[in-house]
Amino acid sequence: MSVPSSRKITHILRAELDKLVTLPLTWLTLMGTFILNLLLAAAFTSVGLQGAAGTQSILNIGLASMEYLQAGFIILGILATCSEYTGGQIRTTLTTIPWRGLQLSTKYLALAIITIPAAFIIAASGVLYTFIRMRDTAVGFEIDTMIDALAGATGYLTLTTLLSAAMGALLRRTTPALVVLLGYYFILSPLTRDFLPRYKNCFPDTAGYYMYMAPSSDEINALTPMQGTGISMLWTLIFITVAIVFYCKRDA
Amino acid sequence: MRAFNAELSKLFSLPSIWLAFLIGAFGPAVIAALDSIAEKEEIIAGVSTRLSEVGYIGLALGVQGVIILGVLAVSSEYLTESSESGGGQQITTSLTVVSSRLHLLLAKAGAVTVISILLCVVAIMTTLSATHLVLGEYTPAFEWSKLIGAVCYWTFTALLAFGITVLTKNGIIPLAVLIINTSVVSFSFLLSKVTKLAFYLPDRAGAEMFMFTSDRFHTPFTGGLVMFAWVVVLFIVAAIVFHRRDVAS
Repeated sequence: MSVPSSRKITHILRAELDKLVTLPLTWLTLMGTFILNLLLAAAFTSVGLQGAAGTQSILNIGLASMEYLQAGFIILGILATCSEYTGGQIRTTLTTIPWRGLQLSTKYLALAIITIPAAFIIAASGVLYTFIRMRDTAVGFEIDTMIDALAGATGYLTLTTLLSAAMGALLRRTTPALVVLLGYYFILSPLTRDFLPRYKNCFPDTAGYYMYMAPSSDEINALTPMQGTGISMLWTLIFITVAIVFYCKRDA
Repeated sequence: MRAFNAELSKLFSLPSIWLAFLIGAFGPAVIAALDSIAEKEEIIAGVSTRLSEVGYIGLALGVQGVIILGVLAVSSEYLTESSESGGGQQITTSLTVVSSRLHLLLAKAGAVTVISILLCVVAIMTTLSATHLVLGEYTPAFEWSKLIGAVCYWTFTALLAFGITVLTKNGIIPLAVLIINTSVVSFSFLLSKVTKLAFYLPDRAGAEMFMFTSDRFHTPFTGGLVMFAWVVVLFIVAAIVFHRRDVAS
């Protein structure tokens, strides 16, 4: 049976979206991340409220929880690809969709479609909470900067999710993928920031940091948001390409 | 004793356990070496302020290895096999063979404890040699009490990971929470800025057994006691839940 290629892609995309939406862990992870983010925003806000009035920026405090928030999205990315390998779903997938490169790329597309709104809502909720609690004490900000920062935060979380999904496709097992990624983002990266400050702007998370956080004025080698996006996106694309190449070559 | 041997053999046959050994044995040494290199420059420049704590940061962060161990010991039992090989869970076989649930849990916890003590001893040896190698004559003397504190910290953390995983049955959540919490940006550090009660959280209290924090709250001994109390409470809760819960649920 021959199907026109545009129809084919819509079919695959719908199938991949269906698979993601029906995973119970997807929703659990997203809801857990949402609640955790609000709790963290509350903690950061009360730390901020103890400081001197009129000095803090609402955006910086509202987005301070991003560092923890990315863990939820890392888990989401890993789940999306590794769930195929628990219990042999991958063989069914490849029987119905025998075009491996196309299938995996569509999976990333479907993942991005789910991640973008979720990341935006979660990041915005944190900023909103901080705004409600601190609007009297903190310095005001312009709506443009807020939109920029939220767009940057959404982009960063989406890129992180895609990178984790690529890593999950490479390692194919949930636990090692989780350990490698969390170990990198939470242990190795803060350490390299201290020990090797020269290279710190070259890594996906430290470069991505500038996508949503306005650099403080005393930093010498800060990146612009565009540079940060570029470096972060480059890393994600490299990992996705490697994952797709391996996926096409390797025995499933 | 046979149940204990069986648990050891099950643990050693897990593929991911080698990742835990690798991280636990060499992670601390690498981090300590990096820290020592940074420290050496300060010593030569004469501005060193924290010579006595060099190396311990590696042991504090390397605890991830035993977290993986504790989580895997339980989550591997609940992993559903693929439908092609029957779709079963290992836990049903384990409970068929050792029918007393408390015995199974104790044997498993014993195996986790023994392996984490051994792993921590190995980690201390690699960390000490790494620091000696980098710092040479500047190496500070390591106190025995603090090293024993580190061994206790590792063992208690492994048992905490074990207990939490018995409750959740799934490895992802405990692994994520505990790995983030051992990192530089831990939840408990954030909470300790909000409320003093956060100093009674297991990792904050336990770290005082061997870390030099600027804002000390417990003595090393009470810190250890607080963490041990957490482990005991969690273990009792896990034992009750494990005893009452249907395996298939």
